[in-house]
Amino acid sequence: MLRLPGIATLIALTTLLLALPAAAAPEVGKPAPAFTGTDTTGKTWDLARLAGQPVILEWTNHDCPYVRKHYGSGNMQALQKAATAAGYVWLSVISSAPGKQGNVSPAEADALTKSRDAAPTAVLLDPRGTIGRAYGARTTPHMFIIDEQGILVYMGGIDDRPSTDLADVEGARNYVRLAMADRAAGRPVGMPVTRPYGCSVKY
Amino acid sequence: MRVLAMRAWRLTMPGLLLAGWLAAVPASIAGPSIDAAVFDDPAASGPVITENVHARLLAERSSVAPGGALDLALVLDIRPHWHTYWRNPGDSGEPPRIRWHLPDGVTAGPIRWPLPEPIPVGPLVNYGYSGRAVHLVALSVPAGWPAGEPVRVAAEATWLVCDEACIPERGHFELTLATAIDPSAGPSHVHTVRLFESARERLPRAGVVAATLDRGEDALTLRVPAAALPGRIDEVYFFPYEWGLVSHAAGQGWTLSDVDGADVLSLDLVPGEVAASAPATGLLKIRGGGADIGLRIDAGTKPGARPGDDAAKALPALPQTSGAGVVRGLALALGFALLGGLLLNLMPCVFPVLAIKALGLAGQGGARFRARALHGLAYASGVLVFFLGLGLLLLVLRAAGTAVGWGFQLQSPLFVTLMAYLFLVLGMSLAGAFTLGTSLMGIGGGTDQQTGHKGAFATGALAALVAAPCTAPFMGAALGYAMTVPWPGALAVVLALGLGMALPFLLLASWPRLARALPRPGPWMETLKQALAFPMFATAAWLLWVLAVQSGPSGLARALTGALVLAFALWVQERTRTARAPWPRVGAGAAVLGLAAALWLGVGAMQATGDRTDAGTVSRPAAARSALAAEPYSAAKLAAARADGRPVFVNMTAAWCITCLVNERVALRRAAVARAFAEQDVLYLKGDWTNRDAAITDYLAGFGRNGVPIYVFYPPGGEPRVLPQVLTETVVLDRIGAG
Repeated sequence: MLRLPGIATLIALTTLLLALPAAAAPEVGKPAPAFTGTDTTGKTWDLARLAGQPVILEWTNHDCPYVRKHYGSGNMQALQKAATAAGYVWLSVISSAPGKQGNVSPAEADALTKSRDAAPTAVLLDPRGTIGRAYGARTTPHMFIIDEQGILVYMGGIDDRPSTDLADVEGARNYVRLAMADRAAGRPVGMPVTRPYGCSVKY
Repeated sequence: MRVLAMRAWRLTMPGLLLAGWLAAVPASIAGPSIDAAVFDDPAASGPVITENVHARLLAERSSVAPGGALDLALVLDIRPHWHTYWRNPGDSGEPPRIRWHLPDGVTAGPIRWPLPEPIPVGPLVNYGYSGRAVHLVALSVPAGWPAGEPVRVAAEATWLVCDEACIPERGHFELTLATAIDPSAGPSHVHTVRLFESARERLPRAGVVAATLDRGEDALTLRVPAAALPGRIDEVYFFPYEWGLVSHAAGQGWTLSDVDGADVLSLDLVPGEVAASAPATGLLKIRGGGADIGLRIDAGTKPGARPGDDAAKALPALPQTSGAGVVRGLALALGFALLGGLLLNLMPCVFPVLAIKALGLAGQGGARFRARALHGLAYASGVLVFFLGLGLLLLVLRAAGTAVGWGFQLQSPLFVTLMAYLFLVLGMSLAGAFTLGTSLMGIGGGTDQQTGHKGAFATGALAALVAAPCTAPFMGAALGYAMTVPWPGALAVVLALGLGMALPFLLLASWPRLARALPRPGPWMETLKQALAFPMFATAAWLLWVLAVQSGPSGLARALTGALVLAFALWVQERTRTARAPWPRVGAGAAVLGLAAALWLGVGAMQATGDRTDAGTVSRPAAARSALAAEPYSAAKLAAARADGRPVFVNMTAAWCITCLVNERVALRRAAVARAFAEQDVLYLKGDWTNRDAAITDYLAGFGRNGVPIYVFYPPGGEPRVLPQVLTETVVLDRIGAG
């Protein structure tokens, strides 16, 4: 004689099997992948503790020509200042592995911030690529916006001109700026997923 | 479905995965080794030598005719272990760009990209080139250009070159072409000729192959007709034209299998960030026997944006033909329904009753023929009224279902799944795994005692109802079929079933002596019933195959899981039916739960094809391997070929249409037919109606048809000839005038 738990187990197993492939990869509209990371001062940042504040993640590598385009033109610094002024926590993340391009010591990272007049809330050092892999960060720059509830609301490129040409900053549609404007106006983000462009993240 | 070959690239490391491709980069082009001889050519720019690339702009000839065109090539010789990018650079990177500075009237076309390679970079994958990348661009000189006046070409090119680090580089190129009426007179260096030749060999093949892409939530399945592919396939890789369709770094498992009598290559892709909206176009790179070929793949525009739609409306009215085929199909169905009705009488819960009644009638041999016949007719009317009621109920359900958007058609994956469940349940019931409708057994015992025609009528109606436990499987099958045809046909089928059931009694009532010829009731009835389970299972199996074609392996997996859960739940219910309380309740609960789970899975199977793009499953290859190459049907193509005076053969088919498949095997795929088509330069257009397709429905309606197959031959300038629905080689050859 078959018992009821047997049926329940069968149904549960079936459901589990069908639901299994739905894991992995961050998705807009879903909770952003959790992470903890250490910044250049040794302070630990935990996404869960930032609840109530919107967060912008910027993957960076100071030697990448695409990153240089946005810092060289002052575009990234201006965006950082606008975002932090609007209440965003701006975390620049460096996922370059030791010995690879863009990998820096905390002191070097601070010197870069200073020399470039950058204004992130903090620079996270992620030499093992843990945060980068959790977010599927592929390029520098690669941008992510997380809302006050911890929901991922934007992922993709910084703008719509995939080039290293400084002249292309002028007139480009800056997707992060547009997303911030949408959120400030209480609208859902109009372009929530775009193509990230740049150098590969040096995992 | 026959699996011919199966290979799955499910390695976790993209590096391992792609090692095969990288290993095949010809050693001869590795490194920025400028071939000095090439650059002695007068039709070459000065070299641009950067840290990582030696670049030149070349022309295939040193002179061009006014009104003519020639190819230019931006040649990048890349430092070893560094690479440049394809039009879609993959996870990172940027394709080269050329800004032209040309005299008025001279134009340069887009870059024709050579076949790329997947380039793994850590956990990412880029698409690009190593060694030498040759970017061909067509340059056109206007007809009014004064011969003798040179054409000065200047170009600014930028490219990104990376190993792990990336360096943007640029170059300025200038070259001057002579103009002459006879440009072949212009000298061209043998090395230049060779470089252009090999560059053209590395381009994708001309023409676009129509494919289909199933966009599931967790998986994309690209299906390409193998007729468009080379005979030997060792490795396959799909490069999407745009970012976001597929995850570039994910493995691509592929299988080659036989679908609908034709080989189909299926690629399992992992969806990218915007897989639902990205265009389903790209390049399929196939390695076979050491050689690479590239095919341009178009897996369809978005539903609703069909290029052929307008042309379909503009097409002149087609001559109407009698719907002979439809009528014949219906006649066949009616015949089977009648036969099925007759069979109902042999079921264990009907036959003994019939036998007793027949013997009783034989006993009243004294009654007049007229009275007995009327008695029989009353009984038959009773049965028919019951079936009529059932048929009307069915039609009401169907109308209500259509009103709320259910499709009771085999093009709807949900309906196919539900039909498969139905036939599985019917088969299990016949096989004796459980009993359907036992609660109806008790009804109608009293009415048997009534006399007169009124009593006979009631007995007939109730006999049909009471016999439900055995007859339900057969009625279910007939009703299932009736769901798929228009209402007059549906009613006719249901009534034919009833007539079949009533017929033996009608005959026995009229001629009681026939009763002696009846076999005696016995165990043979149960054996017959169980044997009849197998046609039901066969039908279920066929429906699942149709579903596999419609919604792919994931849809099939869901439907099979649903079938398993349903069968198990019904079994539990049967085993607990007569147990002590509370087991019957548990069994009923399990049945309800199983049914709900099966339905949920069935809906899932439908959603698996939710945003399926259907561009037909047939190809438009430049040089097809198949003996008889078909192009996907579109009204525009038909009209264009007719306007050109080219003969056209139209074949409308569907995966679930068995007649269609048989016709293809026995007639259309024969060598003699292919030869005749080739000799007459017949354009073979094939429409796939497996899933709903408005253009094909319109075409069928133009011939008074509402189903496939239909075969129409359009002779050049003549009236279209409709071929019979059952084809032979001779019939086809005869109708196309090649017999």
